[in-house]
Amino acid sequence: MSARSGESLRISHVGLRGIVGRGLSAEQVVDFASAFGTFLGGGPVVLGRDPRASSVMLREGVIAGLLACGHDVIDLGVVSTPVIQHAIRRHGAAGGVSIGASHNAAEWNALKFLGGAGTYLSTAEASELLDLYHLRRFTFATWERVGRLRQEDDAIDYYLDGLASVYDLAALARFKVIVDCANGTSSRILRRLAERHGLRFILINERMGALAHEPNTSAAMVALQLAPLVAPAGADAGFLFDVDSDRVAMATGAGVPVTEEMMLPLLADYLLPRSRGKLIITNLSTTALVEEIAARHGGKVIRVRVGRQAAMDAMAIYRPEEIGVAGEGTGAVMIPAFRFVYDGIASMLAVLSMMLERGTTLTEILAGYPRYSILKGQVSFVPQRIPAMFMELERRYSDGRVNSADGLRVDWPDTWFHVRVSQTEPIVRVICEQKGEPPRALFDALMDQVRQYAA
Amino acid sequence: MPREHLLKIGVSGIRGVVGPFLTPQLTRAFAQAFGTYVGPRRVVVGRDTRASGPMLQHAVHCGLLAAGCEVTDVGVLPTPTIQFYTARCGARGGLAITASHNPPEYNALKMFNAAGLFFNHYERSELLDIYHQSAFREATNAEMRGVTRDADAPVRLHIEQVLAQVDAERIRARRFQVALDAVNGAGAVMTPHFLQHALGCELQAISIDPGKPFPRVAEPGPETLGDLARLVREQGCDIGFGQDPDGDRLAVVDETGRVLDNDDVLAVAIDAVLARQRGAVVVNLTTSSAIDDIAAARGCRVYRTPVGEANVVETMLATGAVIGGEGSNGGIIYPAVQSCRDSYAGMALWLDRLAATGASVSALVEGLPRYHRRSATVGFEHGRLGPLMQKLAGRWPEAQLDRRDGLKVGFADGWIHARASNTEPLLRIAVEAKTEARAAELFTAAEQVAADPSAILGG
Repeated sequence: MSARSGESLRISHVGLRGIVGRGLSAEQVVDFASAFGTFLGGGPVVLGRDPRASSVMLREGVIAGLLACGHDVIDLGVVSTPVIQHAIRRHGAAGGVSIGASHNAAEWNALKFLGGAGTYLSTAEASELLDLYHLRRFTFATWERVGRLRQEDDAIDYYLDGLASVYDLAALARFKVIVDCANGTSSRILRRLAERHGLRFILINERMGALAHEPNTSAAMVALQLAPLVAPAGADAGFLFDVDSDRVAMATGAGVPVTEEMMLPLLADYLLPRSRGKLIITNLSTTALVEEIAARHGGKVIRVRVGRQAAMDAMAIYRPEEIGVAGEGTGAVMIPAFRFVYDGIASMLAVLSMMLERGTTLTEILAGYPRYSILKGQVSFVPQRIPAMFMELERRYSDGRVNSADGLRVDWPDTWFHVRVSQTEPIVRVICEQKGEPPRALFDALMDQVRQYAA
Repeated sequence: MPREHLLKIGVSGIRGVVGPFLTPQLTRAFAQAFGTYVGPRRVVVGRDTRASGPMLQHAVHCGLLAAGCEVTDVGVLPTPTIQFYTARCGARGGLAITASHNPPEYNALKMFNAAGLFFNHYERSELLDIYHQSAFREATNAEMRGVTRDADAPVRLHIEQVLAQVDAERIRARRFQVALDAVNGAGAVMTPHFLQHALGCELQAISIDPGKPFPRVAEPGPETLGDLARLVREQGCDIGFGQDPDGDRLAVVDETGRVLDNDDVLAVAIDAVLARQRGAVVVNLTTSSAIDDIAAARGCRVYRTPVGEANVVETMLATGAVIGGEGSNGGIIYPAVQSCRDSYAGMALWLDRLAATGASVSALVEGLPRYHRRSATVGFEHGRLGPLMQKLAGRWPEAQLDRRDGLKVGFADGWIHARASNTEPLLRIAVEAKTEARAAELFTAAEQVAADPSAILGG
């Protein structure tokens, strides 16, 4: 990935993200941690990190900033974001920080900030945090009130207790599952899950540290190393996690990669009949299959702008029991039983539970859904030309139903596209879906039109 | 207290009151400057027991890692132990997080080079330039190294080194009754081990809980060691030792419970070394003339330097001195162990001297050349220091003047040393003379000049 410094740092409502040493620096880490320590009320703060080498540097800076603001810090070590979120609730902590760049390449890193309930910050909270960061107006404790650090090594066990209360883990031991851990935190969790509950996992890329491949959960990444191994291993399914285990993708027992778009509809199909809540919250870029699944179970789809922030804000305006499931086409899904935390491990266990209950294979289950074909592309952009691009696209496709809540989405019966500017990278994303065959002609035309305005 | 005293960033590093002044931001930046200066290799980091220590240590780690350094975290240890280990483990440098003898609300960074020595003037100003320019090395993920912990090796290696310079068998055979006040500082765990197990002493110790705050004023000296003196008297100890929070300074209590003058502590240590080995001695300008008499009696030369450990050490290295220190602050520097203030070297030298002579502490002090000392600190307005010094120099036209550090006015039977603090607008006046009356006379005269603004303005 190219790394000009101006393009490799992103400070936004999502937190701090960038290429370490080329944009993201120790200075920003300590400042952001101090802002977060100032923002939070009293109480301890839970901290965890992914296995990247640079995560240790970020960890040290975050601890310094939080202790200086008078917060005790509970360091869980190398754990997934969902484990941190679980520990925040268990400790009644003031909040938490997750260090790790999730699905980004090895040279990236990021800070994610979590509130008292273990949830992501709302837009209003995130705005306040950003203001504190920009003002550099930190409230430090006096010397005798500086916080203390303690290590906690068994957070994963408590988290597994939480999973065990929702899933019949012993019964899932009948499946043999192969997992590509992408050298991330899932390997620790799955090993412990196997020890405690007898689940049968074959782990690849399980050594935490250097990344064997890009840790994104696309179908292409599933096809790279995982899918070819499923059938030879005699596994019932394959799963691929990103580094902090909040996203997951799949391969069938026959070794066929499943597009990451399928995770949400699949889990909606499993969860909606079991849940009082019938709302599915997802973004404008996610497959239209979700609407079909919702219709089967008397559910309703709420579509919001892309980004965790928009999903959090949407969920805040409904009662928790109204919501059946939430998620996005990236393989990140929130299950209500886990208080709406993107959790790849919980999602995997839900898929296995679905196979168990229906007494059938993943291939069979997927065969029960109509085929949708999605094409995704991206183009670097020139910021000044973005408005003109959107005006041109809107004029050209005015025959469809137009939604400009987040870039431009245009819907026709059985076909839609979504063109938007990424929040995390300097690119325009183009997504185009059609029921049945791939909408190749529309996609190619869109990509050409967007490229006219590209860098 | 005026604000400028609460934070000081200068060639001696960074020091301040934690919270509103000494922040994790400044500390991280200074550590990253340090890591940039020494290069992307190993750096040893340790601290004393101040409540703010862990917070600042994490900020230091963050800055060092960001500069691409590998951090060896030695945890809570005395500064001389951190220095010794820095030199021994092949590190590029070391950092001790300690405000030494300053009150608990302060903290600071002490910086060492690959030899475990304090940064000299050139190293310090170069580091300061990097800090001010924020010209930091920024390591990428692929260049990033980690933090390793190493708490046992530094203690073991340092104690071995100290024991090798004295007759440890002879000390152990005496089974000295020793009292200790470690101020709940960095020596709280290591010093009892050193005295009991390494030197076979019967130990009576107070303030050896590193988890508790300092129970007394952090600087060890006659005014602050009342509890230790009482302990010595009540338990009938042979000797009492008082440390500062980072274990570089040493105070000594005699068997009657009297806290010795710091100059006498140094004088006995110097005599102990010169008794076995002739060589040059280096002390600062404020240290007692007793040192000159002791050295002269052994046929050895004394070099004087401006106040400050780095100054003394620099001259010691240049002259190949066998012993040195600063009487003014209880610092004994014994290069056979290492070239820095080291209370462990000091304790070993004292016990060795007791064992070798069979004398009591009070008898050793009685045997020292006798001088009478007075000292005081006087505030001055910014801009008034020059005229004040001129006035002092003009007051005694017949005297010998030494201007290497403030002004030292020398007489046949005594001296006056006036120097401004590096950190605050304070003038420190020290006076020494052969008789009590002469010391009082010089002291009163000096104080009058310093305290009387009309005398200054009058020119």
